[in-house]
Amino acid sequence: MKIVVCLKQVPDMESNFKIIDGKSIDESQVAFKINDFDNYAVEAALQLKEKNGGEVIIVSAGPDRAAKDIRQAFAMGADWGIQINDPAVQAGDNFVVAQCLQKAIQGIGGVDLVLTGVQAEDDQAAVTGVMLAELLGMPHCTNVVKLDISGANMTVNRELEGGLNEVLEMSAPAVLSIQSGINEPRYPTLPGIMKAKKKQLDAKKASDLGASTDSKTEFVKMFFPVSDKKAEIIKGDPATAAKALIDKLKNEAKVI
Amino acid sequence: MAKILVIAEHRDGKLSDGTLELCKAAKTIASAMGCEPAAACFGKDDSIAKEVAKYIPTVFCVADAALEKYTSDGYAQAAKAVIDSQDVKGVLIAQSYDGVDFAAKVAMAMGAGIVSNCNKVAVEGGAPVFTRNTYNGKIQEQKKVKTDKFVATFEKGAYEMEAAGGAGAVTAVSASISNVRTKVKEVIATMAGAVDISQAKIIVSGGRGLKDGDKYKDVIIPLAKKLGGEYGASRPVVDSGWTEAARQVGQSGKTVTPDLYMAIGISGAIQHVAGMKGSKCIVAINKDPEAPIFNIAAYGIVADLFEVVPQLMENL
Repeated sequence: MKIVVCLKQVPDMESNFKIIDGKSIDESQVAFKINDFDNYAVEAALQLKEKNGGEVIIVSAGPDRAAKDIRQAFAMGADWGIQINDPAVQAGDNFVVAQCLQKAIQGIGGVDLVLTGVQAEDDQAAVTGVMLAELLGMPHCTNVVKLDISGANMTVNRELEGGLNEVLEMSAPAVLSIQSGINEPRYPTLPGIMKAKKKQLDAKKASDLGASTDSKTEFVKMFFPVSDKKAEIIKGDPATAAKALIDKLKNEAKVI
Repeated sequence: MAKILVIAEHRDGKLSDGTLELCKAAKTIASAMGCEPAAACFGKDDSIAKEVAKYIPTVFCVADAALEKYTSDGYAQAAKAVIDSQDVKGVLIAQSYDGVDFAAKVAMAMGAGIVSNCNKVAVEGGAPVFTRNTYNGKIQEQKKVKTDKFVATFEKGAYEMEAAGGAGAVTAVSASISNVRTKVKEVIATMAGAVDISQAKIIVSGGRGLKDGDKYKDVIIPLAKKLGGEYGASRPVVDSGWTEAARQVGQSGKTVTPDLYMAIGISGAIQHVAGMKGSKCIVAINKDPEAPIFNIAAYGIVADLFEVVPQLMENL
């Protein structure tokens, strides 16, 4: 099986974010890592490879810093990768990224399965995978929490609201967006980390792929949310704050 | 007049709450843009479309045996048929499990830009400007589309639910639904027979901040017991196997409305908040002062939970 995993490097969401001119986050203040959901997609691909043979290819759009996390996926066991490293793609929207991923995947050829995370933690859009499926002319399923493959036949569970799963049958090639919790992503081993350094990582620009960089949406500005219902922050050392909270829950909110 | 078109969502013959919120959104946006609100409803017959017509004046119905169950291929083809037959300016879809599965496909079929997961729209110079959560709810951004038409998806609770009371017109639209590449076998309940925390008056929930399963058990469960309540969890806790799925609060888990909800080491991602924001009193304990959970809590303590919770135990 030839499996492509689309991976995005994102900031650690526990970072103390600073916004520059309402336009971007201050990258000097944040650490970057693999998008959480994509980690599950990498693990799902590696398990399929272990069972059925084949190769796992990472395709990622991101600047120089993203190479670190593509190699992290190599260290987990992915075989090789393509990094779409192009400022014009960075400035583009999900549609631009989906087009680059499409062209890269078509360039690889013979891909049986494309896995993505459910969404990126940074833009929280959850649209790129579905766009990619449409561009590749493949069927798709989002929020996959269980996956059984036998030849080209797949049975997948799609997560629904309130603890329900929809069980679907579909055929490869297909695009699946993988939900967190489907597996337990492995940690890279030391030999894995050593091998990862030598694995092939091709750098491409949108023009190399023949992909357009024309977005269909436009970013206006970013800002910190202003809540009209901000919590009353109880100050003091843990003992004082705990006592004050209990007092408020008993006498003010009257809920205990 | 150009239309702002809601795509209705339903399961087992019942419209989703999100659809009623979209009806309110469509009326608000249409009035600001000089358009008219309408909805599209897909099913095996027009029975749900008639239900939608209680909330919005115009409903386009595609009825086909192939649309009895939701599929992304079926919904995208039906949506395309309605959009091609009408003057549609914008399409509104819920940011639900089904919505996420087909919204981008509709946008691609229309050649339109899509802005997903929105919580607000302003109309400036006749064009919509969408506000949406990013960075796990810590930062918001505004986006516009560059295309003439737009598709937008809305997070749950972005608008109030529209009240029933109208008697809209249902118009049939014909579509040929073919080549549906996913087949729905069944819908299964993954939490059947498990504990039900939704009736508890007090819920103490733990999140990723608990660090590991033993600490979750040592910190959260005793506090819940001492308060006479149930213990719950955010998604990462269940994904990591620290407690059972039936205790997960949020979009994919339980929706709860206790008198007291304590969110401990939970950042407050929208998927979690969707399941607990109706609680009477929310308390947040988190060491990150920018965690979005503080935007919905009544009381907050910004500190290390491992220092605060033992003090709570001592004083209860």
